[in-house]
Amino acid sequence: MADPIAVDVVYARPEQQVLLRVKLPRGGTLLQAIQASGVLQKFPEIDLARCKVGIFGKLVKIDSPLREHDRVEIYRPLIADPKEVRRQRAALGKAMKKGGE
Amino acid sequence: MLVAVGSLTVMGVALGGLLGIAARLLAVEENPLEEELKAMLPGSNCGQCGYVGCALAAAALAKGEAPVTVCPPGGRAVAETLAKKLGVTADLSAHEDKGPEYAFIEEDLCIGCTRCIKECTVDAIVGATKQMHVVINEACHGCAKCFKVCPTDAIKMCKVPLTLSTWHWAKPEVGQTLH
Repeated sequence: MADPIAVDVVYARPEQQVLLRVKLPRGGTLLQAIQASGVLQKFPEIDLARCKVGIFGKLVKIDSPLREHDRVEIYRPLIADPKEVRRQRAALGKAMKKGGE
Repeated sequence: MLVAVGSLTVMGVALGGLLGIAARLLAVEENPLEEELKAMLPGSNCGQCGYVGCALAAAALAKGEAPVTVCPPGGRAVAETLAKKLGVTADLSAHEDKGPEYAFIEEDLCIGCTRCIKECTVDAIVGATKQMHVVINEACHGCAKCFKVCPTDAIKMCKVPLTLSTWHWAKPEVGQTLH
C-alpha cells in the first residue's frame, strides 16, 4: 500500500511546455500532484479555480485519485468561440460554392 | 489415488502431444526478412505510408509491393538502409530530406475538438474537449497526421529550429568516403 506512484504533470503554452514527474503516495489526487510538482510556482498565471484539469485528454475532477503513469494535464480555455469559427467556415463554404457555379 | 495420477498423466501426455503436433503442422510461416525490415522502420505506427502500422509496411516491402521510399517520416536515411537490405537502387531524387518537423497549433483557431489528440500516436498533444490544445514540441515526431484532420486548419508544420539540443553532427556520405 505504501509504495508511491509516479505521475506526470504537464502544463503547455505554445512557446513552452513543461512535463514534471512527481511521486505520490497511492491514492493521491490530481490536486496533490499539481501542488507537489511546483508548476504553480513556475507559472503563476495558473488559476486552478478556473482552469480545468484532466488525465490524457479526458476532463477529470481535481480531487479524483490517480493511478501509476497517469499524465495530469492542466488545460487553458479556448480563445476562439467554436460556434463563431463554425459560422465563419459555413459562410466561406457558401461563398466558394457560389464562386464555383 | 493411482488411478487419478495415471489418468491425469495420460491426459497430459496425450494433450501435450496433440499440441506439439498441431504446432508443427499449423506453424505460421514467418518471413525473417520481414522482421529485419520492421526493425529498420521507425516503429511509431504513424500510418503515413498507407499501411496499418510498420509491421504491415515491412510485409509489403518484403513482398516487393511497396517502394523503399514508402516511409515518409523515415526520410532519406530509412530509404537508403531499406534499399541496401533489399539490394535495389532507390530513386532518392524525389525524396528530398525536409528535415525534422513538428506540429504547431494556432490558438486563435483551435476549437477544442480533440480530433488531433485521437490521431497522435505519441501523446504529444495536451488538451481535452473544449479546452485549448497544445503540442509538446519535444514529443512530436512530425508525422503530420494531426495536420490532416484539423477541421479549422489550426495546425501547421514547422521546421525544428537548430539549437544546441537539436543539432547533431552530420553523418558521412557513404558514396564519397569509400572511394
